[in-house]
Parts: sequence; C-alpha cells; structure tokens
Amino acid sequence: MKFNREFFHRFGIIFVLGILITALSVSTESFGTLSNLTNVARQVSINGILAVGVTFVLLTAGVDLSLGSVVALSGVVCATFAHPGQYPVLVPILLGIATGGLCGCFNGLLVTRGGVAPFIVTLGMMTVARGLALIFSDGRPVANMSPGLTNLAGDVAGVPIAVLCFALVALAASVFLKNFRLGRHIYAVGGNENAARVAGISVTRVKLFAYTLCGLLTGLAGVVLAARITTGQPNAGMAYELDAIAAVVIGGTSLAGGVGTILGTILGVLLIGVINNGLDLLMVSSYYQAVIKGLIIVGAVWLDRRQARS
Amino acid sequence: MRPVPRFQVRPYLWTATLVLAALGLGGCKKSEPRQAGEIFIGYSSRDMSAEYTAKLSEAIVAQGKARNVRLVLVDAQADAQKQISQTENFISQKVDVIILNPCEFEASSPAVERAKAAKIPVVNVNSVTKATPDAYVGSNDEEAGVMAMEAIAQKLNGKGNVLMIHGIMGQSAQLQRDAGAHRVLAKYPQLKLLDQQTAGWDRAKAMALTENWLQAHRGNFQAIFAQNDEMAMGALLALERAGAKKEVFVIGVDAIAQALTAVKEGRLDATVFQDAVGQGHGAVDLAIKIAKKEPFEKDVLIPFQVVTRQNVDQFLAK
Repeated sequence: MKFNREFFHRFGIIFVLGILITALSVSTESFGTLSNLTNVARQVSINGILAVGVTFVLLTAGVDLSLGSVVALSGVVCATFAHPGQYPVLVPILLGIATGGLCGCFNGLLVTRGGVAPFIVTLGMMTVARGLALIFSDGRPVANMSPGLTNLAGDVAGVPIAVLCFALVALAASVFLKNFRLGRHIYAVGGNENAARVAGISVTRVKLFAYTLCGLLTGLAGVVLAARITTGQPNAGMAYELDAIAAVVIGGTSLAGGVGTILGTILGVLLIGVINNGLDLLMVSSYYQAVIKGLIIVGAVWLDRRQARS
Repeated sequence: MRPVPRFQVRPYLWTATLVLAALGLGGCKKSEPRQAGEIFIGYSSRDMSAEYTAKLSEAIVAQGKARNVRLVLVDAQADAQKQISQTENFISQKVDVIILNPCEFEASSPAVERAKAAKIPVVNVNSVTKATPDAYVGSNDEEAGVMAMEAIAQKLNGKGNVLMIHGIMGQSAQLQRDAGAHRVLAKYPQLKLLDQQTAGWDRAKAMALTENWLQAHRGNFQAIFAQNDEMAMGALLALERAGAKKEVFVIGVDAIAQALTAVKEGRLDATVFQDAVGQGHGAVDLAIKIAKKEPFEKDVLIPFQVVTRQNVDQFLAK
C-alpha cells in the first residue's frame, strides 16, 4: 500500500483517530497503558463483530436495524442451553449463532422475495426479535451459565477471546470481499443493481447472503455478550445497531451501497471505542460525553464526505 | 474506480481543532495528575436519567466534594455491558475504591469480579449483585415491598383486587420488592393480585399500562402498587385523566420530589421513602474508610418509611 493521495483520501479517518490517540496519551496517565489498550480492544469487539456484519448489508445498499434485538434474542437462546452439565459448550454457541442467522435469513427473504424495503423489514424484525427474547426468557435474565461458556469472556495468552473473534471475523470478511467472486458481486449489486442483473449476477442470492451473514455475525455477538455479562438478557443490546452503523459509515462505507471496506469499518469501530474509553478516562461528565461523541462522529463523516466531493 | 481527488488539508485541520477543543473542554477540568495520598474513587451510576438514581448520584458527588476526595462519576445508562466496561476503565485508572450502583443482579456481577481480581475494593450502593462486593450500602428492598402492600391491605381492610407494576425484571430492587409484596399477599387471602406487568421503572410505560388496565378491568381493582415512584406517577396520571383516581389507591416507592409534592397535594396516596442522601453519603464514607484501611461495616442498611399526607412535610424538607 502506497502512502499516496488515494490512501489519504480513503483513510482520512486515520488522522482523526491518530489525533485522538495522541491527545489522550498526552492528557491522561492511563490511556497508553497495556491494560487500558486491552480494555479498549475488549470493549470494541462486540460492536466490531456487529459492524463487520452490517457492512455487508450496507454494501448492498440495504440496512439492518434489528441488530440490537437479535443480539438479545441470540444471547437468551444461548444462555438457555448453557446451564452447567446440560449440553457440550459448542451447542449453546452454535444455537445462538444459528438464531441470529435465521433472523438474518428472514430479513433477506422479505427484502428479496417480498420486495419490502430493508428499513421496514428490519424495523419489524427489531420488534419481533425483542418480543421473542422476552417470550423465550419469560421476561427475566437467563442466569446460571456453565463456566465453559462464561470463560469465553476470558483471555488466551493475554488476548481477550472476544478480541480474537473480532479479529478473525474481520480478517475473513476482508479476504472474502476482496478475493471471492460472491464478495465482489456484493459491491456490484450495491453499486448498480440493474447493471449487476444484466451482467448475470443473481441479485436475490447476493442480498440473501448478505443479510444471512449479517445475522450469523449478530448471533455471534449475542453469544459473546452473554458470556461477558454471564446472562442472557432480554433487554440487552438496546440501540447497538446505531453504534454499529455509525462505525461503518465513519469508516467510509456509503449508505447508498457499493463503496466501503472492512478496514474502514475496523477504523470506525476503533474511533468510537477510543472516544468512549477516552471520555471516561478524562472524567468527562456523561451528559457532555453524549454531545462530544455525537460531534466527533458527525465531524469525522463530514470530513470524509468533503474529501470525497472535492 | 472514480478518479482520485486532490488531497485537501484544510478540513483535517478543522476537525483536529474540533476534536482537540472537545477534549480540552472535558479534559482540562480535572485531569491534573494525582497528588500523593489523595483518595481516588470511581462511581458507576445505573442510569442518570431516572430521578432516584440521579438524586443518589448527586448525593455521592456532593459527599465526595465535602470529604475532599477525587470522585469520578460515569453513567451506565441501564446497560450492564457498559457498566462492566466502565469498571475496567476504573481498574486501568487505578482508582482506590469503586462504588457501583449495579444495573442488574446477574449481569453486573462480572464488574464486581473484575475489580476484585484487580484487588480494588467495591462498594455496592442501592442494589445488590450476585457476586459479593466488599461492602453494601442500601436499603432492604423487601422491606419496601412489605410496607407498600401492607399499606394497601390496611386501606382496603384486607379485601380487594390489586395490580402491581414491576420495575425492570431481574433487577434486585424488582425481585425483592416483589418478594416483599407477595409475603403480605400471602397473609391476606381475600387480597387478590388481579394482574402484574412490568413497566421497566418508566413513567410513560406505566401510564400506558394503566390506561390498558382501565380498559380491561375498570371498577374491578381498588389499588395499584408501583415498584417505584416514576411508575406510580404514570399510573396516577392515567387514572386522573380517566377520572378514576377516587376508585383506586396508588402507592409507589422512593419518595422522589414529584411524588412527595403529589402526596402533599392529595393526589398520590402514599410512597415509601428511600433515603437517597443517606445511601449516597453512607457509600462515600464507607469507601473512604476502606481506602484508608480503617475498620468498616460490611452491610450498612438505611431504613425505609411510609410517607402519607400526615407526615409528608418532614420529608419535603429533606
């Protein structure tokens, strides 16, 4: 990769992130410490997995508003099958992921075969999944998870398992989008659906794939979250879709589809994570935090778009 | 591929200025280096947008100032995941003591465990977690449930239909107030629980719920027990709007300012006083004792009191 104009154009976000990290390292004693950087990595991993998933959907010019609710539903399903001595630890994990995949697949079917706008379909799924999570758990947090599963919140050789999951998912997604035919078809469909159809690409198949994959990753995020909070919480994950979509958009993915990279998404996720962590370390009152966070997000995207227009 | 545009510097400078200004705005206030011997307390509040928790947090911050310690307040916005992250941040900031106002019984437990693993003492305030902290300052919520349901039983002479509005399911306050209420219901066989639903501590949700109940059961219930005052106010507003308040006795818990005023005006029948200031001051004092390695009590219980129109003035003064 050459550090030419194109590089700067694409990753202007790196500058904002760099400035933030420098400012935080100078102004606080604890930001640059290994333990805090591990914290940041651990704290961004759930949003990171969600953001990678929703990148696929946004690339097809769709949107998925059901992420937060599906996280809760997957977490509840996972926790229900994770009581000690019940099933091998892989069963709740796979069931949690499958639950997410199923929700994503439904979204995809309604968008492609049903012809309903993604905004509406996933808005519906947002409510349905939340309701199912409450039904499935009887409105109460599902506790008593086996240590095998809650250990997923732990570390391997000093690296949190959640971070490893995020890294693997991001790497695989990036390679897939660049080097696989289906990955490139996603860009084609998002860029110009009619042209893609004329070129012989099955738009239905590509979109269905994007929504299902997003669902599977949302399920994974639900499992990771359940392990972290040691329960399946029917009211967990409120508004998580907003942070995930914000991260993707900050990372340069166009809401109109067809443009964007996983690397950009990772940078967006890191930016949001560093802001959250840094404002806590700086002891900024939570009321101001919300305002500052919003300004930085809009500022970063404004910068990016200005750059793109010029 | 689109043509590569010319790289512009100016927008980056603008954003850099913006970011630095934002950081400066928040940062310059308190981020001077720690002085030797200064006690540093991290406090994670459950949800600053709820009146009782805001009052509790205010008391904690005020007492931190009064005792001259460095106290940081963060808001978990009712998200246990966020609360765990905040605790992790406190650990890397190397605070002396963490005061935790837990979001949830189970889900906030990892926060307590992380802190203990890092050898940082934890004081839970107002709600409990499954993991045992070093100390707890709060009130026995079961007592509040008992007091409220007992007040209803007295008012109805032990006979009638009651509706109960729950807080967020699974939170220690909800579980214990529910348990207390059921203990009283078991004592009065003719006092029936007609229906119970959650409104998540939220006024608007409780209002909608009560409106629906009026549609379904009007004339068939004589009392509503709301597990906090926010929800009691919601129920009260719905009843007043439907002109049904006279038929129904409403009691809440917490004695927030608006509820006390409503009791004074004769609109709300009663509330159970939970001492936010007592809890807040108690938590900070205990945290300081722990930081100074002085002996401390593991459980500090602040009692509840029923507030009615007769004794409301003494609470309004507080």
